[in-house]
Amino acid sequence: MMWRIRRKKDKKKKQSALKQSKQEQDPLYTHITENENQFRQIYEDCSDVILHPFSIGGKHQALLIYIDGLSNTEEIDDSVLSPLMTATVNDGEQQVSTLIKNTVAVSDTKEVHTFSDCIQAISTGKPVILADNSQTGFSLGLSKWEKRSVESPEAEKVVRGPREGFVETLTVNTSMLRRKIRSPKLKMQSMEIGRYTKTNVMITYVDGLVDKTLVEEVLNRLNRIDIDGVLESGVIEEFIEDDPHSPFPQTLATERPDIVTSNLLDGRVAILIDGTPFSLIVPTTLYSLLQAGEDYYRRYLMATAIRWLRYLFLVISLLLPSLYVAVLTYHQEMLPTSLLISMAAAREQIPFPALVEVLMMEITFEALREAGVRLPNQVGSAVSIVGALVIGEAAVSAGIVSAPMVIVVAITGIASFTIPRYSAATAIRMLRFPMILLAGTLGLLGIMLGIIMIVVHLATLRSFGVPYLSPMAPMQFNEMKDTLVRAPWWKLNKRPRLTGESNKYRQSSGQKPSPIRGKE
Amino acid sequence: MKRLFKPEKRLLTIVLCCIPIFLSGCWDRTEVNDLAIIAGVGLDRTDNGKIELSVQITNPKAIGGPGMSSGSGQSGQQPVIVKTGTGKTIYDARSKLQEKTSRQLFEGHNRVIIIGKSLAETGIRKHIDFFARFPIPRLRANVFFTDGKATDILKVIPSFENGESAEAARELAELKIGMNVTTKDLLQQLASSSGDTALPKITASKSKLGEGLKVNGTAIFKNNKLTGQIDDKVTRGLLWLTDAIETASVTIQPKDAEGYISFKILRSSTELIPTIKNGKWKMIVRITTEDDVTENETKLDMMDPKIVEKLEKQMEKSIDKRIQLVLDEVQTGMEADVFGFGEAFERTYPQKWKQQEDQWDKKFPEIEVVIKSDVKIRRPGRSGGPQGVPQEKEKKK
Amino acid sequence: MIEKGKISGLQMAILLYPTVVATALLILPATTGQFAKQDMWLSPIWASLFGYLAVMIAYRLHHYFPQETFVQYSEKIVGKFPGKLLGFGFLFFILHTNGMVLRDYGEFVTGNFLKQTPLIVMIMSMAFVCALAVRGGLEVIARSSQIFLPVFIVLFFLIILLLIPALNPKNMFPVMDEGITRSIRGAFVPSLWFSELFLISFLLPYLHEKEKGLKWAVVTTAFIMITLVTTNLFTLLLFGDIASSFTYPVMDAARYISIADFMQHVEAIVMAIWVTGMFIKICIFYYVVVIGTAQWLRLSDYRPIVFPIGFVLVSVSMWSASNLQELTHFTRTSWTFYAGLFLIVIPIVLLLIAKVRHKFPKKQSH
Repeated sequence: MMWRIRRKKDKKKKQSALKQSKQEQDPLYTHITENENQFRQIYEDCSDVILHPFSIGGKHQALLIYIDGLSNTEEIDDSVLSPLMTATVNDGEQQVSTLIKNTVAVSDTKEVHTFSDCIQAISTGKPVILADNSQTGFSLGLSKWEKRSVESPEAEKVVRGPREGFVETLTVNTSMLRRKIRSPKLKMQSMEIGRYTKTNVMITYVDGLVDKTLVEEVLNRLNRIDIDGVLESGVIEEFIEDDPHSPFPQTLATERPDIVTSNLLDGRVAILIDGTPFSLIVPTTLYSLLQAGEDYYRRYLMATAIRWLRYLFLVISLLLPSLYVAVLTYHQEMLPTSLLISMAAAREQIPFPALVEVLMMEITFEALREAGVRLPNQVGSAVSIVGALVIGEAAVSAGIVSAPMVIVVAITGIASFTIPRYSAATAIRMLRFPMILLAGTLGLLGIMLGIIMIVVHLATLRSFGVPYLSPMAPMQFNEMKDTLVRAPWWKLNKRPRLTGESNKYRQSSGQKPSPIRGKE
Repeated sequence: MKRLFKPEKRLLTIVLCCIPIFLSGCWDRTEVNDLAIIAGVGLDRTDNGKIELSVQITNPKAIGGPGMSSGSGQSGQQPVIVKTGTGKTIYDARSKLQEKTSRQLFEGHNRVIIIGKSLAETGIRKHIDFFARFPIPRLRANVFFTDGKATDILKVIPSFENGESAEAARELAELKIGMNVTTKDLLQQLASSSGDTALPKITASKSKLGEGLKVNGTAIFKNNKLTGQIDDKVTRGLLWLTDAIETASVTIQPKDAEGYISFKILRSSTELIPTIKNGKWKMIVRITTEDDVTENETKLDMMDPKIVEKLEKQMEKSIDKRIQLVLDEVQTGMEADVFGFGEAFERTYPQKWKQQEDQWDKKFPEIEVVIKSDVKIRRPGRSGGPQGVPQEKEKKK
Repeated sequence: MIEKGKISGLQMAILLYPTVVATALLILPATTGQFAKQDMWLSPIWASLFGYLAVMIAYRLHHYFPQETFVQYSEKIVGKFPGKLLGFGFLFFILHTNGMVLRDYGEFVTGNFLKQTPLIVMIMSMAFVCALAVRGGLEVIARSSQIFLPVFIVLFFLIILLLIPALNPKNMFPVMDEGITRSIRGAFVPSLWFSELFLISFLLPYLHEKEKGLKWAVVTTAFIMITLVTTNLFTLLLFGDIASSFTYPVMDAARYISIADFMQHVEAIVMAIWVTGMFIKICIFYYVVVIGTAQWLRLSDYRPIVFPIGFVLVSVSMWSASNLQELTHFTRTSWTFYAGLFLIVIPIVLLLIAKVRHKFPKKQSH
């Protein structure tokens, strides 16, 4: 596989950026006062950080640091402070840390040695205890903050299938994945991205299914990122794509744990990011962007039919307006005669050329949709569609656009909603406009040239080394049963070749069910 | 290696390359509402030897789009507009016509070509070239002959087909009551060795009930010039002979009964089998048809196999008679090979054909034609015996 | 090697198929019909023999120089200077042919669809699109053609399917009334189109599975032959004697389609077929010129010369003929000898020399 060779400059840049927080790398001081001063300095003007000095058993000075609202204060009081303060203490430095370890009734207790360790623990909601005369502190896993409960994903709805979607909290998301894949082979490597946000990013894969070089490449690309903050997976996406200028997304963003799971089982890598329900799956192909998770839960005949419907509407969504322009202004002989005459009759009063008419209506439609998304609640989308129709109707009777045009725009609109992935739908929607212009200049030939250009571009694209158009080009015949059709589950024995090569078979063959014979 | 385009500038370059195309584009763009959609073309010859081209242009205003405020069609609008222009060639006439028309003439939907008598008499080959060379017209347009001026046919406003006579003519041809000749067929026949062809004849029928068109009879062209016309009845024979019969009815009067019996032809096939024996050229025409009884005026029982057999014999004779009729008129009368005898001989006896090709004109009228028809009556229809006749009185034999 | 991509045997077959079919599809019935009359459907069968010959020569030469293209091994076979000269001649021939193919495409589109649009716009837009693909390398061309070819084939068969009601089998007879000669005369020009398959000499070195190269080349030649026979047969059955009098018989055949008054005037399908086919064909020729030039000049990367060669290509295609008649005349007369020389004669000579050179050192060592 061809990985892109990255320039080494990037690493140097990153190191210089880290220098400013050099002092945070220092180990903890022995004296508690020095530590306390240091922390007060670090957390200057941070009124939500609470530094609570106390003494263990009345003898050892100690310091508890946590952030208000990120940690469970009741637990801190009950299982940390009260046992420690009432503990009986023997002399000796050695024993302070043992004492804390033995007394604190918290399961997730970790030693911390440096300031940066402490800061990391504190900022994730884990209180840190420091004792006098000890260079070792303890972080306690008592984080607890307000989180959104697990709901059904808004952007990817299904009729049949799991209703849970990822939430903004990484730990909840990883727990959901872990619940789905119980095998210890499910690996999660965590890393921090963002100078200031220090966002926790989790690279997830199933060991034994995934190509090791792929994981390395993902880690490399993520390591290169050096930015202020990661607010959403989209930020990461733009940094790790193969071709950043392409309109097509080269990662699959999803908020459905079941989709992530199935992709992990195909040998792909998922990147989970704290603070957003959207996780990224790499590598991805054009076909995986055109599949809905539900395809695999429906009866396979229906799934196949719907898949074809979706392919058809993909083409319609890309080409219908441009075909309208091309046929109406260049190839009038192609229409059935009666249709042409009624088209001509409908357009008799229209002041604009077909090209302008189409552009006008398509842009209006896009604007309406965008406005609909920003409307306060989900009524928005309905409002925008109704609005479009009303405006279309009014525009027709006012003689500004022709009635067939409104139908074309409406069908195109519906067609673009059938594409399951929002990002792919956006790409197609955007490409529609150059296609309309091409159709307006060169007719059908322009459309053909446009299609050729798009296909050439898609053929050039790779997502983490995997050709974007696979398994269509390069052709993999036995994968056609999961692209052109959706073969029944008991036939889908092999994993996709380019990602699942290390472990080819996903199930044993010959599992086709059949009725029991012989009972009349 | 220096790259021609830096990646960052690639997009800009592409956009810059594309802009000239968009700026200068739209050479061929025509809006639908700037088109004069031609439904039919008529060709006539003026007295001074020029071509008179008439076109029938559909008037979309009269048909009315569903989106228009006026609803369906504006009253008082003519459904079609007929315009004429004259010139040395068809295209010349077309340009003259274009001068008179505010919209661009568009033949992409031309469905019929009507050839007037005046033009037909002077030869049609040279004029048909336009329809195979100019990029827009279709090869599927139906070609008709009319005994008067082609313009008059185009001016007819029939009651069906939105008042478009061109569409009405096409539908008539599609029914295959008469000949059905497309431009492609015409080109093929003209290019054949004999160059003889036949075109359906279309006539305007005017009555108090309204205007209409009818296809009655056929015009026979010898060496691409009009030589004669045959009427409806003879045309049927021609259709039998050229294997073009589709929706036909045959009515006979049984010898031993009163009244008529009508049959509907289900399918029929005609085979031309040329034979050359001892230098004698002979054509065997083998016709096989399957028929259903559709009407029985007589008292004959249609379920009786014997009666059916008799009827079959009689039908065969009636078909033979029809074909003989056309042979008499066209083969010996006009000496025009519109049946494709020439090609049949060419295909079977390519060598002998080569020798005789030049004398085919002389040879053709002398060819002996043997008709072997085979009629099969398949079903008696919904009733078996005659209707409205008491059981006892049914004729049984 | 300059080209880092690898293609599979199937992809090579997919690239070769339109290379011959694309041009042939539209004008073949006209070209063969002129000589072969109603035997024209036989001509592609004879012509395909040249295809096999070209494939065999390319394959044998490839056998001696598995990693190299024609431009590279011609230097090794006949020496540096003659080899360079030969390479230049070959590249010029390919460039010229490609210019003519591009011109053919432009003439077809301007003649039938966009009558007012200047030819240069057609040619430049196509050359630009092809340049994008060629810059992407062999893999990209292969993948794009893999997407287009199924569409190409489906549409082609769709046209045939829609024409079936209008076909008349009588047009086929008499078969071979003048013996075989007529159909062989008709096979003359198509056989040179078939010999364009020699271009696999530029694809074979980049094959994944070398051993399957020959198999796929033979398969694709057979498929091309079948396609062309079908094309000729159905235009013949539709038009009979007049088939050869049209400039683009297949196009007129498609115009004749009318199913239920709705499916009519599907010549746009023909254009779609033609444009995609032409795209692949021009890409392959273009690619061969580019990679050949890069090898000829010993460049380390071929991408910088893609656009400059594109400009040369556009000018060649504009200057190659003054009108369609001249272009057609040239392809039917001079070009055939020109092509025969570069695609059949010179490769055979090279192969013989290579064989001799290969054998003699062996004998001396024993």
